[in-house]
Amino acid sequence: MRADTGDLLQGTLGILILKALLLGPSHGYGVARWVESTTDDVLRIEEGSLYPALRRLEDNGWVSSEWGLSENNRRARYYTITRAGRAHLRAEATVWFRYAGAVTQVLRASPALT
Amino acid sequence: MSEHEPSRRPPAWRRYLRFWGSNIDADVDDELRFHLDMRARDYEARGLPTDDARRAAAERFGDVQSIGGALRNHDRRRERGRQRQEYMSDLTNDLRYGTRAFLRAPAFTTVALLTIALGIGATTAIYSVVNAVILRPLPFPEADRLIQVWMDNRRTGLKEDIHSWPNYADLRDQNRVFSGVAAYYSRGYNLTAAGCRESECEPERVTGLISTPDMFAVLGVNPALGRGFTAGEDESGRDGVVVLSHGLWTRLFAGDRNVLGRQVRLNGRERTVIGVMPPGFAFPTRDIDVWVPLALDPDTKQARSSFFLYAVARLKPGVTFTRAVTDLNGLGRRLEEQYPTNRDIGVHLVPLQEQIVGRSLRTSLWVMMAAVAAVLLIACANVANLMLSRAAVREREIGVRVALGAGRTRLIRQLLTESVLLSVLGAALGTALAWGGLRVLVRLAPQDIPRLDQVRIDLSVLAVTLAVAVVTGLAFGLVPALQSSRTASASALREHIRGGTSGRRAQHMRRSLVAAQIALVVVLLTGAGLLIRSFIRLQRVDLHFRTDHLLTMRFSLPGAKYPTPQSRNAFQGALLERVRQLPGVTGAAFITDIFLSSLPNSTNFTLEGREMTPEERGIEVPVDAVSPEYFKVMGVPLLRGRTFTAADNTDAPQVVIINENMARRFWPNEDPIGKRFCYGGPQCGAPVLTIVGVVGDMRRTGFDAPVRYETFRPYTQYVVSMLTLAVRTVGDPITAVAPVRAQLRALDAEQPVFEVASMDQLLSSMVAQRRFSMTLLGTFAALALVLGVVGVYGVTSYLVAQRTREVGVRLALGAPPSRVVGMVVRQGMIVAVVGLAIGLAAALVAARLMKGLLYGVGPYDVATLVAVTAVIALATLIANWLPALRAAHVDPLTALRSD
Repeated sequence: MRADTGDLLQGTLGILILKALLLGPSHGYGVARWVESTTDDVLRIEEGSLYPALRRLEDNGWVSSEWGLSENNRRARYYTITRAGRAHLRAEATVWFRYAGAVTQVLRASPALT
Repeated sequence: MSEHEPSRRPPAWRRYLRFWGSNIDADVDDELRFHLDMRARDYEARGLPTDDARRAAAERFGDVQSIGGALRNHDRRRERGRQRQEYMSDLTNDLRYGTRAFLRAPAFTTVALLTIALGIGATTAIYSVVNAVILRPLPFPEADRLIQVWMDNRRTGLKEDIHSWPNYADLRDQNRVFSGVAAYYSRGYNLTAAGCRESECEPERVTGLISTPDMFAVLGVNPALGRGFTAGEDESGRDGVVVLSHGLWTRLFAGDRNVLGRQVRLNGRERTVIGVMPPGFAFPTRDIDVWVPLALDPDTKQARSSFFLYAVARLKPGVTFTRAVTDLNGLGRRLEEQYPTNRDIGVHLVPLQEQIVGRSLRTSLWVMMAAVAAVLLIACANVANLMLSRAAVREREIGVRVALGAGRTRLIRQLLTESVLLSVLGAALGTALAWGGLRVLVRLAPQDIPRLDQVRIDLSVLAVTLAVAVVTGLAFGLVPALQSSRTASASALREHIRGGTSGRRAQHMRRSLVAAQIALVVVLLTGAGLLIRSFIRLQRVDLHFRTDHLLTMRFSLPGAKYPTPQSRNAFQGALLERVRQLPGVTGAAFITDIFLSSLPNSTNFTLEGREMTPEERGIEVPVDAVSPEYFKVMGVPLLRGRTFTAADNTDAPQVVIINENMARRFWPNEDPIGKRFCYGGPQCGAPVLTIVGVVGDMRRTGFDAPVRYETFRPYTQYVVSMLTLAVRTVGDPITAVAPVRAQLRALDAEQPVFEVASMDQLLSSMVAQRRFSMTLLGTFAALALVLGVVGVYGVTSYLVAQRTREVGVRLALGAPPSRVVGMVVRQGMIVAVVGLAIGLAAALVAARLMKGLLYGVGPYDVATLVAVTAVIALATLIANWLPALRAAHVDPLTALRSD
């Protein structure tokens, strides 16, 4: 099953995280869970690279972080997408759609795959 | 952007505080543990046992350790960057804030800046001199390994005595610590470019150094053009070569690179130019223009008691100075045992750097450095007091910042930033002052200070200036900063309600600063006073000969042109005759040297028909050739017998005149006239001389040394090639220079004269270093006094102003103004007396350190101390009186209303 997911490119992981944060501030585990549930566990986030990716997003000013209390009253670090993060996500999404569309177009072209 | 944006941004110091105590390690751990716990909880919810759930969660995450480590590093780096940014933005804010604050108080800023500029400017100027003259290494490779080698002559007490050739050769060959030892001595040369017509070229007098061929190698410097001496060139016949200084090369040959191989005539002898030294090469002194190889005859190479050589050596790599001293001391002792002439003679080593910058010059430069440091401290105290006064004014502003949440540390930092800003600006101004001042300083300085021409404000000086500026800023800023941050945090806005919150503590601080200032001024004034008293003493020293209206010049007859005593005497006699008949000249005479140098041409002597004690046998006397009228021209009394006459020539019996000191020592109760002695040891190889006269003592060894035993010989019997011509004039002696030169030229156009000067000029240059030290220290002391008085005045004014209400009450209650004046002055004077007492104690210590610079006054000179006390008392009295007077004439009603 893991083999199906392929290697998530770093940039793609960033896009997924930003997208997850569009719903509202969340801790790292929440981001991972959201991605898993949204894709019905097809895309499993590589947890080891989740937190370094969050740091990079923060360095770029696309997310900000703050300590808060989790739903079970534990101290947790909450990440929030910034204005710049939203803009970045929009731009990246546009690129992704164009790329995915192009690939789809190629794959749909005759002759058929089977 | 929303209009609420600015108010949402937290104040700078809040941001700063938030980062106190942030714990990166704990934060990373918390975050990762939270993730693992949540994942495990989810697994548990799906029915896994707790332990399995935990294990699965950890497995899914990957390498927790290494990821945690990476995050920690990342966070730490980020934190550092943030702090740096924070710091820079705080600094920028503080600087901007400080600049605005200074611009709002232009009077304060101007006074403070000028005070700092004076202090730091003086420090920079003197430090740049110290740096160039003392600290910077000599311009030789590995100059710290160069050593001056002396004979330690315990017979004469002369620790820095010179060598004979055999002595030098022993040291050179038998030491185990030097890679090379070179010997040299200097002499004057008459230089003419060979092949130039007599009428065309002015003969030049230059100083030359005659050295062993390895001298350039020992020093580690090669000629910039051509070559140095080679090993064989110290043999007679092969020594006809010369190396020129860069200065002489440009002056005489216009920097022509084809100079190599050309001939120059030195004292009548032709020599081939083989090299030109690089510019700036100066050894042992700046005035050396030619270097020639030392070629000695076999006799001199055997003469163990013919002392004329200096020696410089280079330590082998890895050999310490101490080891060299031990080795050479041992060698000295061996030589003492081996040769009777070496008895009581040891070896004395001095690092070349110390040798070149003499002890007294070094002392006086360090005294100057200490003096400017004191001036700087006084300036600091003044600025600190100004800042304290200003802090009281700014209390409300600082209170507001505290109320808004500024911590004490943050506040202190801001105040210190301001004071360092002030001092760095002051230092910039001061450096400009120093730059201007140095030009004056170098022009005033005596020219015999080595390396004075290299004094400049370079990067190393600027670095020191900047460091001094920062330390200065912290020094005068710290006390006020601590003070105002304390009052501010303690009382914030509350205490501002009635003016004068500067409590007892602040008053105490101010008075301590004033006392310290006065103490420093006392030390400086005492130092300057002692130097001035020394100088006056020196000016009043009676040299026991007439120094006014006296022109002196020297000339040396080259042996090649005047080979026989007769030819020399003929020239000398003719010259004397011509000069004496010049209009405006009342007398002219010869002597070998008017003043005896520190290493005179001296000899021991043997009395006829009398046993001499060993001590007497060790006494050496200078031998001077004089013309018959010398004593008359110089105004020296003839005490017994007769002076020389023209009849005392080579055919007549050999005669001698001695000075009173010698007569008293050797013939205390008899008439020395008719007594006989000869120069040299008991075998008396030299002719026996008959004493024909006794003259009064002259001070010929300078101002400091005692009168020696002296002997004078008629120049017609004791014929020398180098003489000093002394001319007594009616008017200004300098106007006689040209006519005398003309007479000389008429006799021999190739014959130069040198050291042409009036006696007044000579005496003045002899005290030039002392005058320089005195002028400098006097200037600094005056500067210190002015700054100190301004400080006292400022503080008293401030304290009086603070007490305006109290004074008003007293006046309103009927106190006479004089009582008020008395009260204020009394309080001020208590501080002054404390400062004076501390200062006098410190001055006694300081004066001991500068003992070597004093002449005729002890370090504990009551007159100086009394004078300094009087000056300080008067100055502080006035500085306290004026503000007190102003306070006492305030209108009580106004005073009571004052806030």
